[in-house]
Amino acid sequence: MDLKEFEADNSVSCRLASSVPDICKTEACCLGIDEAGRGPVLGPMVYGICFCPVSKKDDLKELKLADSKTLTEAQREELFIKLDEAKSFVGWALQVLSPNTISTSMLQRSKYNLNAISHDAAIGLVQFALDSGVHLKEVFVDTVGPAEKYQDKLSQRFPGVEVTVRPKADSLFPIVSAASICAKVARDHAVKGWNFPEQMGDVDADYGSGYPNDPKTKAWMLKYLDQVFGYPQFVRFSWSTAQTLLDSKAVAVHWDDDEEDGEKAAARQNNTSMLSFFKAGSKTSGPQGNTHQPHRFFTERRLQSLDTL
Amino acid sequence: MTTKKKRTPHSQNDRWVVIVADPAVETPKKDESDPVFVRLRNPSTDEASLYLFGSGDVQLYEVKAFNEDFHSWFIGQAVQRDGRLLYVTPMDPLYLLLPYLIKASEEGKFQPVDQVVIDEEFPACSRLLSCTRSLASLHYVAEEKDVGSRKFHRYSQEKTLQWLKKKVERTVTALRRSTVSVGEGVKSTTYIRVKQEAREEDYVRYAHGLISEYISEDLSRALQTHLQLPELSSPKEVEPPSKKRKLSDKPVESAEDYTKFNSSDFARKPPKKMSAAQKTLAKVDKTGMKSMSAFFSPKVKDEKK
Amino acid sequence: MSSNCSVTTLQLDSIGQTEPATVHLLPCEIEHDGPAEVSRFFTATIKDRKHEKTVSFRGRGLKGQEVSCPQGYTGLVLSEVNKPGSDQEDRTVKVSSVFHNLTYWNLETPPNSDDGIVMAMAWPDLAEAIHGPLDD
Repeated sequence: MDLKEFEADNSVSCRLASSVPDICKTEACCLGIDEAGRGPVLGPMVYGICFCPVSKKDDLKELKLADSKTLTEAQREELFIKLDEAKSFVGWALQVLSPNTISTSMLQRSKYNLNAISHDAAIGLVQFALDSGVHLKEVFVDTVGPAEKYQDKLSQRFPGVEVTVRPKADSLFPIVSAASICAKVARDHAVKGWNFPEQMGDVDADYGSGYPNDPKTKAWMLKYLDQVFGYPQFVRFSWSTAQTLLDSKAVAVHWDDDEEDGEKAAARQNNTSMLSFFKAGSKTSGPQGNTHQPHRFFTERRLQSLDTL
Repeated sequence: MTTKKKRTPHSQNDRWVVIVADPAVETPKKDESDPVFVRLRNPSTDEASLYLFGSGDVQLYEVKAFNEDFHSWFIGQAVQRDGRLLYVTPMDPLYLLLPYLIKASEEGKFQPVDQVVIDEEFPACSRLLSCTRSLASLHYVAEEKDVGSRKFHRYSQEKTLQWLKKKVERTVTALRRSTVSVGEGVKSTTYIRVKQEAREEDYVRYAHGLISEYISEDLSRALQTHLQLPELSSPKEVEPPSKKRKLSDKPVESAEDYTKFNSSDFARKPPKKMSAAQKTLAKVDKTGMKSMSAFFSPKVKDEKK
Repeated sequence: MSSNCSVTTLQLDSIGQTEPATVHLLPCEIEHDGPAEVSRFFTATIKDRKHEKTVSFRGRGLKGQEVSCPQGYTGLVLSEVNKPGSDQEDRTVKVSSVFHNLTYWNLETPPNSDDGIVMAMAWPDLAEAIHGPLDD
């Protein structure tokens, strides 16, 4: 699998795709969606779709696909090669969500949670398939969040497509298994060959599974913790594992939206926080009651006089 | 999610990021001292503010800080917690001399300026007279008389208002060139500020407001009348009182502890009251000046003739 | 109480020997004064996008741009030499770095002309009008 495009800038998310088989543009197709790397505190989360004509479902079965989690890494690699060899009727596409994208989205001012990120990635990929001319009939997907709600969301978004959201879809439907293999292979490659944009020198690649409870992962996170910057972008800062370590071992960093309630957010929007800020500054007046308020040129520019260096 | 740490108060720092006018940091000429930061009486607040004398006290500079909450610097390979950006910009020393001249004018006499610009609380104020522009520009705000090699001055509000009016005009010109929005328009941060067509009066009022940062409230009012600026009917930028308490509960206060300015040891004597030294000087001046003023007085002259 | 009598001398003799420094103004308060691996973690990960620079710090997305010091102005980093024990004593600061432009960062918001620091850069020009000598 070629991840060059993602590796060129692994701070953002990236879409990778096979070519679309001609038969998929003419015959009614089924499409499976699955993800890999949702839980780990390290590396990207990968969303994958795989599609083939409904009539070729049995050919797919012959590839003996199974849930990627029950396979070894070597078996997954092998199966991905088989899928790639079946490119006359099987197509795939991936959305690689970089850990930096996950961190910055989840920690955004207007919070963007992981379920929403996942749903949007899945929707984006289905839309991509449609835009690429895939004649889409059926969509199968493993659930993220409540199955019914997700099914409604997808059905509404893609009228005319039969959507099946089912827990364990990756072991029930070969097309979902195929998607999960594509996603998992991409995730494995991305993690293994992670190109640290930070000038980290030789990074110890023994970060374990990336799951927070893996002792190897924990040890790695302690080893690479920087007291100012925290971690390289390879780490998902939005994971509580990362946050807890930063809170106890790194210097404190405060943002203007920390513990921001609605009122404060509104105040910031209206700039009144600035006024209250200068209100405090005007305390320089001292007890004789000098009521001098700086001109708005200065308050608007946050410029104030100093009385000491 | 873990709970966020509270901001801890920031003790005094020992590094400053400054944007400074080039002449202020030119290598001093031979025998000239390095520039110095000093505290002088701010003519608008009557309290201490920080200024800089350039090498040899030739030029005065004002120090202001751009201070947005929640900011820090990366400087090279280091973090500096204090995220302020200081500006060191040229300052007309006359603004700082003016309060001393006004105070002395209560005597109604011509006096040598070096006997007027004395302040026990701010001893550095006498250095203002070393600035090249100081003595050369006193005529804008005072009547001058030469006696032999000595110059004597008496504050003139009329001249001062003329001078300030010119300052306002200069500022209006600069404002017109700038991107500064002088109108009473939208101040929302959700829109990019668009420079709106402003009326002449808006410019003058804005410029008057800026100049008023450097003069006393009394003089500011006199200038407003002199400029024939009508009073504004409604005060603007009144903060909603309900939100104030809530906001100040937040950690806003810890970055810069303004409360220290409010402590009693920072208290100043009432502005009109003279310091002990000034009182003494005033007395000395009175006796010293009696013959002088008699000498200058046209009435006396007539009698002599 | 800080004494009004004490002065702070600005030593200029070091100005010629200082290395130009890269300075970044961040939209957060970092409770730290001292060394940090700025180029390793931060500078190396800055992306120059079309209308802005992007980077992240502690998992938060920043957008920024470079601004120059106003014409006729220079950026200096001053540092205190031998901090005195009491504030009655005279102090000395020296020039530890020089810069001619700086990069400021907003939390998520694209840089624009309404940003505080961009607006503040208008100050020197206006100060010149308020304080410059009259022509006559």
